[in-house]
Amino acid sequence: MTEYTTRVAVDIGGTFTDLVAVRDGGLTLAKASTTPSNFAGGVLDAVEKRDLPLASVDQFVHGTTVVINAITERTGEETALLTTEGFRDVLDVTRANRPDMFNYQYEKPEPFIPRRHRWEVPERVDQAGETVEPLDEDAVRDAARDIRDAGFDTIAVSYLHSYENPDHERRTRELVAEVHPDAYVTLSHELTKEYREYERTNTTVLNSYVRPIADEYLDTLAGRLGDRGFDGNTYAMKSNAGTASFDEARRRPVEMVESGPVGGVYGAAHVGRQLHEPDVVSFDMGGTTAKTSVVQDGEVTIDTDYWLESSPRDEGYPLKIPVVDIVEIGAGGGSIAWVDKGGSINVGPKSSGADPGPACYGRGGTEPTVTDANLLTGRLNPDYFLGGDMSLDVDAAESALEPLADTFGTSVREAAHGVLRVVNSNMANALKQVSIRRGHDPRDFVMVASGGAGPLHAATLGRELGVKETVVPRAPGQFSAWGMLMTDLRKDFARTHVRPFDAAHAGDVADIVDELEAEARDAYAAEEVDEDDLVLERSVDLRYAGQEHTVNTPLGDGPIDASRVAGTVERFHERHERTYNFRLDDPCEVVNVRLTASAPMPKPTVESLATDGEPADAVKATRAVDFATEGVHDARVYERDALPTKTPIDGPAVVEEPACTTLVHPDQTLTVDSFGHLHIS
Amino acid sequence: MSQQPTETDSAVDPFTREVVTNALQSAAEEMFLNLGRTAKSSVIYETLDYACGVTDADANVVAQANGVPGFLGTLKFCVADALEKFGQDGFDPGDVVLLNDYHGGTHLNDVAMVAPIFVDDDLIGFTASKAHWTDVGGKDPGSWTTDATSVFQEGVQYPMVKLYEGGERNDAVYDIIVANTRMPEVTLGDMEAQQSSMGVGAERVVEVYERYGVDTVQRAVEDSFDAGEQLVREEIRKLPNGTYTAEDKLDGDSVSGDPVHVEVEVTIEDETIALDYTGTDPEADGPINAPYAASVSDVRSFFQAITLPDADTNEGFFRPLDITIPEGTVLNATKPAPIGTDWEGSAMAADLPWKALAPHLPDRLSAGHFLSVCATIVGGHDERRGEEFLVVEPQPGGWGASPGQDGADVLVCSGDGDTLEMPVEVMETRFPLLFDQAALDTPQTAGHGEFRGGTGFVQDYRIYNESGGFITAGFGRSEFPPWGVEGGQDGDGNHIEILRTDGENEHHSNLTNHELGDGDVARLVTSSGGGWGDPRERDPERVREDFRDDYITRETAREVYGVELDGDGTVDEDATAALRDTTTDAAGDDE
Repeated sequence: MTEYTTRVAVDIGGTFTDLVAVRDGGLTLAKASTTPSNFAGGVLDAVEKRDLPLASVDQFVHGTTVVINAITERTGEETALLTTEGFRDVLDVTRANRPDMFNYQYEKPEPFIPRRHRWEVPERVDQAGETVEPLDEDAVRDAARDIRDAGFDTIAVSYLHSYENPDHERRTRELVAEVHPDAYVTLSHELTKEYREYERTNTTVLNSYVRPIADEYLDTLAGRLGDRGFDGNTYAMKSNAGTASFDEARRRPVEMVESGPVGGVYGAAHVGRQLHEPDVVSFDMGGTTAKTSVVQDGEVTIDTDYWLESSPRDEGYPLKIPVVDIVEIGAGGGSIAWVDKGGSINVGPKSSGADPGPACYGRGGTEPTVTDANLLTGRLNPDYFLGGDMSLDVDAAESALEPLADTFGTSVREAAHGVLRVVNSNMANALKQVSIRRGHDPRDFVMVASGGAGPLHAATLGRELGVKETVVPRAPGQFSAWGMLMTDLRKDFARTHVRPFDAAHAGDVADIVDELEAEARDAYAAEEVDEDDLVLERSVDLRYAGQEHTVNTPLGDGPIDASRVAGTVERFHERHERTYNFRLDDPCEVVNVRLTASAPMPKPTVESLATDGEPADAVKATRAVDFATEGVHDARVYERDALPTKTPIDGPAVVEEPACTTLVHPDQTLTVDSFGHLHIS
Repeated sequence: MSQQPTETDSAVDPFTREVVTNALQSAAEEMFLNLGRTAKSSVIYETLDYACGVTDADANVVAQANGVPGFLGTLKFCVADALEKFGQDGFDPGDVVLLNDYHGGTHLNDVAMVAPIFVDDDLIGFTASKAHWTDVGGKDPGSWTTDATSVFQEGVQYPMVKLYEGGERNDAVYDIIVANTRMPEVTLGDMEAQQSSMGVGAERVVEVYERYGVDTVQRAVEDSFDAGEQLVREEIRKLPNGTYTAEDKLDGDSVSGDPVHVEVEVTIEDETIALDYTGTDPEADGPINAPYAASVSDVRSFFQAITLPDADTNEGFFRPLDITIPEGTVLNATKPAPIGTDWEGSAMAADLPWKALAPHLPDRLSAGHFLSVCATIVGGHDERRGEEFLVVEPQPGGWGASPGQDGADVLVCSGDGDTLEMPVEVMETRFPLLFDQAALDTPQTAGHGEFRGGTGFVQDYRIYNESGGFITAGFGRSEFPPWGVEGGQDGDGNHIEILRTDGENEHHSNLTNHELGDGDVARLVTSSGGGWGDPRERDPERVREDFRDDYITRETAREVYGVELDGDGTVDEDATAALRDTTTDAAGDDE
């Protein structure tokens, strides 16, 4: 008999809280409304909807918006900051750039800590970690007293070059504890050992800012799960697409900032593994935005150059933590089409949002949206939206698109398919940005499309991009939660160490790798993970001496000696050439040494879904669909759950399921595999 | 007179037009990313002192990606001049033309490449890029100086020569470049990166042409120019008709020391804007002169800022803009006038109409800002690494206030854009320097107003190197500071202090190859922005906040703002009312 692990994943989104569970080899799905004032309530509602016996659940994985919400809504805790003397203004100076180039009234992002809540401490370490000026301990004690008396309970500490020598930051924690023992203290080097003081300081500040809220939330949730009999392990989804125990997440809450969206990327990577396709482009399109990311060799792409609330017109706030590299596009089902004064058609980034929503929702929206265009081209079924729970108003959609059609002298349907061409080209450009422009050949990739609107656009984009095939996974509307079910414990470590990368310096790199590995083992030991279970991946960020930007290059396993360095340099040359079209004969330099340490968790097994039957039995209807430049065709409409596996179905076709609709172009073919995923090629 | 847009009579539907122009823009952005990620000069990868673009076969810019707005328009001049020299038939696939002289339109460090794009043997356009190379020879390290007296001292001129011919490198040209730079490794790295990005851009452009057809793409582009022109004309119609004037002085360079008079007359008439700089002084002896293309580029940025700041730049925007700058003046310099710090002149070309129009366009414009790039070179022999080092950086400073809003603190100047200041930790890792501070310049002593100018920046570069080093820096807007509006105060001006280990201090605005000993500090101080409105009209609560955050002293609150603060920092309302009543003439302010 198979031993099943029961795992539950709950993902809190803006509108819905999704639950996906695997028990006894079968998949359970649930949706509840998100309850912003009390997120834990929504989680428990979802659990109760499916009567999950919590006592029998082994693992509970959670993606939460609690951190991003506290930041976006500025409801975090007032925090005090300690910096090196002469550098308290690092939060105001930022990088001093002006992204909104023609705006002569540009406003910089407001720091999360006002100037009056920052204290400077005489101390200085240089880039080599040598002490130039010792820590002024009395100054720290005085500052700690002031901070305590002013009523602060969270304190961020960020000194220059602390990644190279953290002694002053550590000593500061001890000194603060003498006068203010209950304060939450975050030291910058504990969050990141990479250089760039503004980025590291802001990361430390935001971690402090959200700590009390995250702490209380995770505590409450764990307590309420416990009250219902749960005694398994609780894990939080981190932005690096791995999980952490609730205890770790409480100390480093800022790492949960992209907790939700990364689930979808990890899910796409997992679909790739199921299909033996290591290279995947994920594409997740919802109501307001679309998100895309590249998975290569089975690995999600992570970097530590993340900016919150940034846009082409705003610099935003940096976070130097490992985050899955996701490119966001202002294009979703609710995106509004409009004509600028020069007579050009634009789609988005403004969206009708959830309320009033697209015109066809009949809730008072009057502006033409992508969803209205999909309806008028016959791609969406007005009577089967949300499985028929809601019917779409074709007349309202037509009225919304009429002004566009009048402006351009076209029929309403032509205007609708024009809108779709524009939004698809915007998304295709963004998809190219994460793929071709970074040196990948799209023909090696499969695209995994999810989100409420993703499957409707996926086949068009997949063809435009030239991917091998497009896959619409099972439960595409709850795909982030599904991805979370498949994750492992993961921690990323890094240390800035700028040196020549050559045989003579192999020993230096080996020492740092040893140091990082020891740090990883200690961190996991504290969580009672056996070190034999750890999977360690070492890499270096390399560049040609004199460059600034780096290319991450794996070191591989085994001792780090002259021959490993030479092999790594050769891999770097190859990667540089693939990405940027040239290589140089110049010497290489290492900037950061990185270590990813993961601890695989037992995965739930989902049983095969192979079913027999004739596609014709799944046909619900035939309807005319406008495929834009390919003309109007009669397409068969299928019910997804009734489709048999393995039998190819020729396009044009439409596949409907309650949460979304998949479109198949006339020259494309659809098959269903035994996991229940749809393949379009 | 304007014509109503007619029913679409173009053969290209509006959706195709949008798809095609987006794809071309995306090609320019890809070139931009590619070059920025691989260049070796920090001026390229951090300062983003470069631009990439695509033009049609007649040198009209079809798409452009900029790191700094100062390059808006220069690519057009580069391509047009190369076209004039070689003719439509003078290009083969695989050619790359190199230029950096007066034809390029900016100082010699800005090296342009122009490469033809062919589809089926037809020349359909060009890729072009321009990037600041760290050293192109000349009399001093880093090439540009503040004391050159002719362009021949500022580097080697690449006078539109083919670096590549039919895909083959021209070794004669290449060897001359290598022989004439102090930093061949960096220069060759930049050259390789720039050339590679040109190839990437051309590939993408060809894909677009092949997919949609040459006719469709060309018509889409022309239509988008027409649409752009239409759009900008409507915006100009919203501006108040009239003639506006402004005059100012450029700080003298370190050659002559004499201030240079500049002036402009701006005429807004229905749908056109004309700028006339007649009356501006002749070329200066030192390198603050701007070639015509440099001035025009900065003026174009300003023009876009007052018309369509949110739009992607489109060649059609500039059709209703007419610029007259007499030849031989400091804003339209001719060879062999030195142009090493040409941004001083070109930034002024934009600041003048800004000053003329600010009171009339309060929803678009701010009071004067610190304006000068405050470009700084610090170099020497790095004893730690045993090699030469050269830091080249612009400095950020204070921006002007506008109604309802204080000016931004510490932000790069209007000639710079998405330009990143190098972090102190990166600087110290790369160069033998130790920073004592990188701080807002407070308490503020200038730029006060109902809305306050943003603060300047103070950075202390301490030389952390046994053999010392040197500094070259051009800080304009030192003697003639940023201007306030409607009773707001002027800023305090940019300057440099040298703090010697023996206790001696120096004060400067221009330095070339100025020696620094181990432990000496170069303190770079940029100006606050200009204020907007009378300081005594400022909300006392905002004055109190400024005091609590150490932006101003208690004395400034009292004497400049007329606000009395109690011992605990709260506003003493009676004393404030008394102060504001006795010190202003305006009656009936109190309620």
